[in-house]
Amino acid sequence: MAGIQNLKGLAKAEKYYTDYGTRAKELRAQGNRVIGYISALSPVEILTASGVVPFRLKGNVEEAITKGDAYMETIVCPFVRNVFDSAIKGKFHFIDGMVLPHQCDSLDRTSDIWRDYLNLSYFHFLNVPHVTDEPSIEFMKEILRLFISTIEDFTGNKITVDSLKKAISLHNENRRLMRSLYDLRKSNPPLITGSEMMKVLVAAMGLPVYESIELIKEIIEDVKGRKPLTDGQRKRIMLIGDQIDSVIITDTIEKAGAYLVMDDISIGSKMYWQDVDEDKEPILALAERYLRKLKIPTTFVDTGGTYEENLNARFGHMRKYIEEFNVEGAILFIYKYCDPYGFEVPAIKSYIEAVAVDVLYLEDEYSISSLARMKTRIEAFLEMIA
Amino acid sequence: MAEEKKGRALATKAAASIPKFVRGNLAATIKAKEEGKKVAYAYIADGQDEIMRAMDIVPAWGESFAGVCAAKRDAEKYLQKAESDNFSRSLCTYATCTIGFDMIRSELGVDIVPDAPWGGMGRPDMILGSAQLLCDPRFKWPQATQHYLRDVPIFVGAMYYPPFDPKLNHHEQEKFYVKYCTEELRECVKFCEKHTGKKMDWDRLAEIVELSDKTWDLFIDTYELRKAIPTPMDTGDAMNTMVPLTFNLGTQEAYDFYKQLYDELQEKVKNKEGVVEPEKYRLIWAAGLPSWFALGDFQYFNSKGATFPVEVTYRGCEKIERLELPKTSDPLEHIAWRWVRYWTHWYDKARKRPGSLPKVERIIEYIEEYKCDGVVFHSAFSCRSWHAGIIHQAETLKKVYKEIPILILEGDIVDISSYNEADTHNRIDAFIEAVDAYKSRMG
Repeated sequence: MAGIQNLKGLAKAEKYYTDYGTRAKELRAQGNRVIGYISALSPVEILTASGVVPFRLKGNVEEAITKGDAYMETIVCPFVRNVFDSAIKGKFHFIDGMVLPHQCDSLDRTSDIWRDYLNLSYFHFLNVPHVTDEPSIEFMKEILRLFISTIEDFTGNKITVDSLKKAISLHNENRRLMRSLYDLRKSNPPLITGSEMMKVLVAAMGLPVYESIELIKEIIEDVKGRKPLTDGQRKRIMLIGDQIDSVIITDTIEKAGAYLVMDDISIGSKMYWQDVDEDKEPILALAERYLRKLKIPTTFVDTGGTYEENLNARFGHMRKYIEEFNVEGAILFIYKYCDPYGFEVPAIKSYIEAVAVDVLYLEDEYSISSLARMKTRIEAFLEMIA
Repeated sequence: MAEEKKGRALATKAAASIPKFVRGNLAATIKAKEEGKKVAYAYIADGQDEIMRAMDIVPAWGESFAGVCAAKRDAEKYLQKAESDNFSRSLCTYATCTIGFDMIRSELGVDIVPDAPWGGMGRPDMILGSAQLLCDPRFKWPQATQHYLRDVPIFVGAMYYPPFDPKLNHHEQEKFYVKYCTEELRECVKFCEKHTGKKMDWDRLAEIVELSDKTWDLFIDTYELRKAIPTPMDTGDAMNTMVPLTFNLGTQEAYDFYKQLYDELQEKVKNKEGVVEPEKYRLIWAAGLPSWFALGDFQYFNSKGATFPVEVTYRGCEKIERLELPKTSDPLEHIAWRWVRYWTHWYDKARKRPGSLPKVERIIEYIEEYKCDGVVFHSAFSCRSWHAGIIHQAETLKKVYKEIPILILEGDIVDISSYNEADTHNRIDAFIEAVDAYKSRMG
């Protein structure tokens, strides 16, 4: 473990990516409590304020589901099933509890299964609504207060306004730094590859926020000093999807001859693009950030205006990314059995294509079992847009 | 038109009158324009029924039309149409069926889609969706539909209930949940007022809500007659007789239907007239929407001497007195309490039996009250809402209750492509043998 602590920047991120959970295990061994969470919808600020180590759960696309299917139907989101499979196999033995936010049916309808079979000391299903109007903000505040009271009961630590504000400030700093790192992808060629970025994103989500801040700072320094990584003309690609957390996917895209320069994925820009308003009362600010600012398909957005206005409100950030990062093609990678994303595919596709950026839509499992087929389709797409 | 399978023979006269009901509901959406009424795409169990009825908005129920398409084995053309624009087959096929239908409507530039089963649904003036703990398509389906009907405004309200947590007291949470649901219903009223140009008649709404309460009570009184041995009606019929409760709540027709069904069942009970003779096995349909294209499978169960005196599916109500609703003069708040308590009123029971779940307590209650010998679930591959978690329910039932025979059937609600009749019947045969052995063991 001392070895990892001696590493810096990208080398450290690589190690944390490869041995995911290693730092959380170490902190647990030092007497800290570790709380696992799923999805960008979990308010990590509250976990940080309570003094626990937030640890985002991920699966392993290279490992087949061998135990989870005995508990969860195969119609559940393949990512959720894979993470549960890892959990039931004991791979997250170092977590004391977990928070499961109500992002989608696959989480909501399996919450009893997580609670009843993992037998964790702490479990909370955070019933985040899907609607974003004024009554929903008030409701979200109640839901956050309930979450706070349960985590306080578990840890014995009172979450004060000050501790929450401090945690919000730290997570905002973490987000600002990550956005600065993303900025280094704007040059052509980008200064950091998509696979390197994937490793940083995964490493960061397994660390306490103050360690993530230090890691990202080191990486920015590393990367800033680099000369452009590759020569030659390559298409600049944006990856869109939910929890894509493996370099196997990013490698496939980049080895096919593209620069992966931006993402709209759950562990990436979705986590880091929107700050919590530090000038507002913290519970309200958190409610607004997670309900209104976060761009995920499970919050219903309707401006009351035209369909085009609604599309801008739902997907306008993607066009911004296209402009800012000079994106020339997009890969929309959706997991099978995902209703929230699945119902958006025609809308997202036509919205992006309307600004003359081609979109490759892939529907697949959270698994490498069909990697060869996916590789062929990505190669064909890159040839088409070349 | 695709092959139309012969319908299931029905045990009750009332169930046989249901197709007329369904056709009437669809026809009303077509005729609405002539009558100067607005049509709303609507989705079941959203709590907005009474608001629509009080404002003379004609609901066009997506699930009902998709079910009709499936039952007539004529859904494939719509599923394929949706698939042609990248809607995956793994998505809710109720939704993709009607989206395909609206894609055709949009392409043809017509209000009435030709060659649609039973005339199809009229073009909506608005879409009323709902976000809940029930199902993601209830708010994604409207958005996806709007992609093809761009001028149609959408309202999505919220109708949540406290999730079950054995360590948390849901009673403390109910109040803020009901407040939220009530406010969302009020937002729904505002939206409907804006798009109909009419003001809500609150007295009329109160009357309709009262009628719904009466209908809930009568529905349960009627269905409880099925406790009789032999049972006078089984789930095969209930998949029809759910229509007035599910799609016509708040109307006198719905209430009258259950009065007629009540009288018919009472007569059958008096005459000891069962669904099958002899009634050898009594089963519970414990969860899962049926395969609408294969309702004849209930008859296959019947041919083995098995009946379903009770089901969880589409029993979307409870006796009002059992819900212990707080008094309120606000009809919207009453609706909110009714829905929240509908879901939470099994929680206390579940908390008393360690390791249990509200859904499992409900199944246990029905097994005991309806004297069931076996449990059947149906897992539909395109619907996570009702079908994710069935394995857990089955396992929990065995763990906290007893080793009762359980069958989990697999198929879909609309998409026939994954259905295999021979395989399904083989599984039913094996299950019936297990139930028979269980009954012998239990004496």
